[in-house]
Order: sequence, then structure tokens, then C-alpha cells
Amino acid sequence: MARYGMVIDMRTCVGCQACMAACTTENQTPFWSDKFRTHVEDKEKGTYPDVHRILLPRLCMHCENTPCLSACPTGATYKTRDGIVLVNYDRCIGCYACCIACPYDARYPYESDDVTREKELYGKNVTHEVPHVDKCTFCEHRIAEHREPACVSTCPTQTRIFGDLDDPSSAVHKLATSGKATALNQGLGTSPKVFYIPS
Amino acid sequence: MTFVHQHVWGWQIATYLFLGGLGGATFSISAILHLFEGCDRKMLSVAVLSSIGFLVLGTVFLLADMLQPLKAAYALTNPNSWIFWGVVFINFYFLAAIVYVIPLLEEWPKLLPIIKKIPTGILSLLERFNRLAALGGSAAGFLITIYTGLLISAAPAISFWNTPALPLLFVFSGFSTGAAYLLLLSTISKKEGAWKISEKLEQLDAILIVSELIVLGAYFNFALFLPTGARESAEYLFHSPLFIIGFFIAGLLIPLAIETYGIFFAAHSTKSKSLLAFASALVLVGGYLLRFYVLNAGLYQYPW
Repeated sequence: MARYGMVIDMRTCVGCQACMAACTTENQTPFWSDKFRTHVEDKEKGTYPDVHRILLPRLCMHCENTPCLSACPTGATYKTRDGIVLVNYDRCIGCYACCIACPYDARYPYESDDVTREKELYGKNVTHEVPHVDKCTFCEHRIAEHREPACVSTCPTQTRIFGDLDDPSSAVHKLATSGKATALNQGLGTSPKVFYIPS
Repeated sequence: MTFVHQHVWGWQIATYLFLGGLGGATFSISAILHLFEGCDRKMLSVAVLSSIGFLVLGTVFLLADMLQPLKAAYALTNPNSWIFWGVVFINFYFLAAIVYVIPLLEEWPKLLPIIKKIPTGILSLLERFNRLAALGGSAAGFLITIYTGLLISAAPAISFWNTPALPLLFVFSGFSTGAAYLLLLSTISKKEGAWKISEKLEQLDAILIVSELIVLGAYFNFALFLPTGARESAEYLFHSPLFIIGFFIAGLLIPLAIETYGIFFAAHSTKSKSLLAFASALVLVGGYLLRFYVLNAGLYQYPW
């Protein structure tokens, strides 16, 4: 049993958004509605002359203490044995309680119009057959095939490092415990499994 | 740090929260008045029926906002979710309210033929459990009112909502709208018994508005002095003219002034009827605006 997590090295991100494109292609997310499972925030920090550009790739943090899971009244949001937070599309009623509870803006509604558009684009091979709230799955279907998430394998600068946080020999474990990496919004007690090495 | 307005819950959920609080509180106040003060049964039946109507309508708004409303029964799965408890409270309320209201409908001669169709065994059972249904329904009504606040306070990234003051504010506001609605009914009713109870309702609503003002003061005091999104939210509300004029002045201060005048200077004369009806309508509009603006002012506090 693994405990999957990710380290994002902000020092190497160039903001090419290849991760967003790969995720969209892999998971049929509704780019036509400007909704993505992963997003690269492009921010400016400071004031002239001391200005910095910050590129921060973000996604679901697959928290240990999941506010979205507690908020979901239907049990549609659940956690796998490997700690991946998923949504059962057939059980989701789309009440948005999870979207409100998520401190990381990691969820968005896959609406009826998006399902229709998806069918137009992908034909019979659709993965979102009903409207539901959608989020990153760490590409668990790829993990099952011993492949990395699409965003990780696509990243040209190896900004994203994925693996088992409990495996001491894994790169992700070494980076997460190196003292350089930190989690977002730690004060909320969510214990995210996505860590950031600041630029 | 970025502050972003939430756009997930809009006017439909604000309407659900408003009608939930109004319906729950209307029943609670009606049943308590009936049990401990005595109240005109005809007015009581209208109040209870309309409280059921408010909650049915509120539920319709909630369902209309969902992506998959036909699967709503799944909402009874996770007891860690406030929506689960909302469904439990509302269903328990419906059961108690129906048991409570059927014997009251005998006051309406036109409805008698329908009531007579109910087997006498069931009718006498409803009569026997009338007081229990009133108490149980009152508790459920209170729980629905507080639930509307608890639901939105369970948002760790929206610091303006994530505070115990919000459920308290919604309780006082919900009960104030409930008292105002009953006051409105008593001013419309031509029955002497209904008008008599308006004195109590007038006093109750004034007390509730004062309590709401105290909680509101504490709530904004907390929000304005924290270096978080709560301060941004509070400042957003201070710069929303409809919140200040519509909710704070017209929905709280003016009704309080009218009710104070009614209690201390008008000596409960029928002359103040139209003024009281006006004050009640203002409280109801203010109650809706409060929920609408609190939802609008919800700001996510993102770490990027």
C-alpha cells in the first residue's frame, strides 16, 4: 500500500502549461469552458524595482485530512487505500459543498453542457458520462498501469516529481523530507500530499 | 495571498438558506406560542402551512442548484456532512409539522370534508400526539435554522464564514424573520385572537433584532481585526449600498424603531397595524439580503 504524493519544484517551472494540456487530453477535462484539473498560476510579487514572477502549478493536494470528503453528503468523494482522493461520478449530486470546502480551488463542476461538448469531441470514448464535480485523480488509471500521471511525464523541466511518500528510496520522499519543501495553507490542518520547493 | 470571490453558491442557495430559516423559525415560534400562550387556531394553521410551504420551496431551490437533483436521496450517506443533517432535520420537521397541522385544519369548514376522509383512529392518534409533534417540530425548526449557518461555516478557506458567530447570526436573523412573518399574519387577520398575539410577537421581534445587532457587531468586530479574507469580506459588505441600506438600515434599524414605537408609545392600538405590517415586510426583505450578501462576500483565501 503506497501513499502517493507530489513535489513541485518551483525553481524549474517555466510556465509552458504543457501539464495543463497533457491533463486535459488524458482526462477529457472541459478546456472549452476554461476548467482544468491542474493550473499554472502566473503571479507577480513585490513592487518596482523589487518585482518577482512566480509560477505555481497547482492541483488537488490529496489531503490527509480532507475537508471536501467531510463536506460531501453522498459519499461520492472518497479516498483510496493509496490516499488518492477521488469522486464517484455516479454518486455525485453536484451540491458543490466540496467546492466550498476545498481550500485549494481544486474542484470545478463538469456541467451538462460540458458532457454534451465532450461527446461531440470524443464520440463514444467519453470518460465523463454524467454531470458531476470534477478534480485531479493523480491519473490513478495510469498509476494502475505503473505509469506516472500525465502532467508529470509531460513536464519538460521535471518540475513535478511523483511517487510514494512512504518509500524512503523514492525521489519524492527524499525531496518532501529534505527540509526545502513545504505544503500550502498548512495552518488549516489539511496535511496536503503535494509539496512545493519555493523559487 | 489571493482573495477570490466564491461563485459556486449564488442567489438560489441564498433563497434556500432564507426560506429554511424562515420556515423553521415560523414553526418553532408558532408551536411554542400555541403550547405556552395560546393562539388563534386559524392563524396558527396558516402559519404552519406556510412554514411547510417555505421549506418545500427552499428545497426546490436547493435541488435546482444541483447538477444531479434526481440523485438527491444519496445525500443521506455521510453523517460528517452538514447537508446530511439538513436533510434529516427537514424530513423530521415535515413529519412533525404534518402531524401537528392536520387537527388544526378542522378550523376551516371548507376543508372539513377532506379531513373527515381520514380514518377516525388516525385522527385521534394525531390529536393525541399534537403537543409532542409541536415540541418535536419546534426542535427540528430550530435545528434547521441553525443548520443554515452551520452549512456555510464549514468552509476552512473562507474565513468570513468559518466562524461560530455565523450560525448564531443566522439563528437570530431566522427567528426574527419568523416572528416578523407571524406578526404580518396577525396584522392581516381579522380575528381578535390573532391581533392579541401580535403584542407578544412585536416584543419578541424587537428582542431578536437587538440580539442580532449584538451578534452582528461581534461578527464584524472579529472580521475587521483579522489579517485574513474575513476583513476583505467585511470591507466588501461595508461598500455594498444595498447591504447597508437594504439590510442594516431598512431591515434592522427601521423595523426596530417602528416596533419600539409600537411597544412603548402606540399602546398596541389598531392604528399601528399598517406600520407593524410594513416593519414585518422590511424584516423579511432584510433577512433575504443578509443571506444573499453573506454568500456574495465569501472570499477564498488562496496561498498563491
